[in-house]
Amino acid sequence: MKNLEELKIMRDKAQKDLALRSGKHNIKIVIGMGTCGIAAGARETMNEFLNLILKSERNDIVVTASGCFGFCVQEPMVHIYAEDQIPVTYHNVDVEAARLIFDEHVLNNKVVEQYIFQRGKTNE
Amino acid sequence: MKDIADHIFDILENSFNAEANEVVLKIAYDKNHFFCSISDNGRGITGQEVLDPFVTTRKTRRIGLGLPLLERAAEDTGGYLKIRRKDEAGGTELEFKINTSHIDAKPFGDLAMTFSDIFLSRPDIGLKIFIIKEGREHLILDFSGLQKEIEEGSKDYLQIRKHIYETTKKELKSINVV
Ligand SMILES: Nc1ncnc2c1ncn2[C@@H]1O[C@H](COP(=O)(O)OP(=O)(O)OP(=O)(O)O)[C@@H](O)[C@H]1O
Ligand SMILES: [Mg+2]
Repeated sequence: MKNLEELKIMRDKAQKDLALRSGKHNIKIVIGMGTCGIAAGARETMNEFLNLILKSERNDIVVTASGCFGFCVQEPMVHIYAEDQIPVTYHNVDVEAARLIFDEHVLNNKVVEQYIFQRGKTNE
Repeated sequence: MKDIADHIFDILENSFNAEANEVVLKIAYDKNHFFCSISDNGRGITGQEVLDPFVTTRKTRRIGLGLPLLERAAEDTGGYLKIRRKDEAGGTELEFKINTSHIDAKPFGDLAMTFSDIFLSRPDIGLKIFIIKEGREHLILDFSGLQKEIEEGSKDYLQIRKHIYETTKKELKSINVV
């Protein structure tokens, strides 16, 4: 039998997990998971973003996969959609770039020029 | 694609992109022959021409690479890739075989990671994973219900990911896919 405190912790954790998957998010990280993205390491990038989200204890950020963005040599590619902001597409996002983008852009609203591919909508 | 785990993640993505919500994956490994089949209830392929790199339903690029690359990886070892439409309503069945003792065979990679990553990218998918041991099929993991466990609060997200990884890792090891 779990005590009340344990149950409360479990519930809070579950709510956070749920928020990760559904409901309203202020920031959405979308990773291109076409063949070239996968070949270029998009799965590692996706896992890194997830770990960063969990570590940040923020429950309004979500990471999802989409098909390939169509610029194979630039993969892995990542879109960041933040509320009230122009979406930004980054290219060549390896694990190290993911950390930088997460710290600067996702958490602090600062676009990371070094990895920028495009500002605004892409053709997908 | 560096390994078989990458290829499997990639062809599972094809199923999901074809709006499949039920996918059955089976794996066998016997005398250096790795066999994998995938059956989905997506919109179905129109013909064998999907193995042609110039055939794709994607809109961003005119070629599709996933299937041709897998076909090549299989055939390079003397194996094969077959894909067909299930019936008029749709659905796709695919199977491939790789001779892992062949010098050109790609390594397995971390297949268990493929499955926990699939849950990460497609959490609400109904994926069933079987291994075939001594001619008999064993269900080792059923994704349906996992998302519900999170929603109901009995497990959290990391626990589920770990569960998927460890369960499939152990079972794959039992058929020497390591
Ligand atoms: N499981 C499936 N169900 C329905 N259609 C499929 C399935 N798998 C492949 N196809 C069709 O075959 C085409 C070619 O697939 P392939 O994986 O080679 O390329 P792609 O997915 O279009 O692009 P890429 O894999 O390079 O990101 C797809 O565009 C799709 O139309
Ligand atoms: Mg594909």
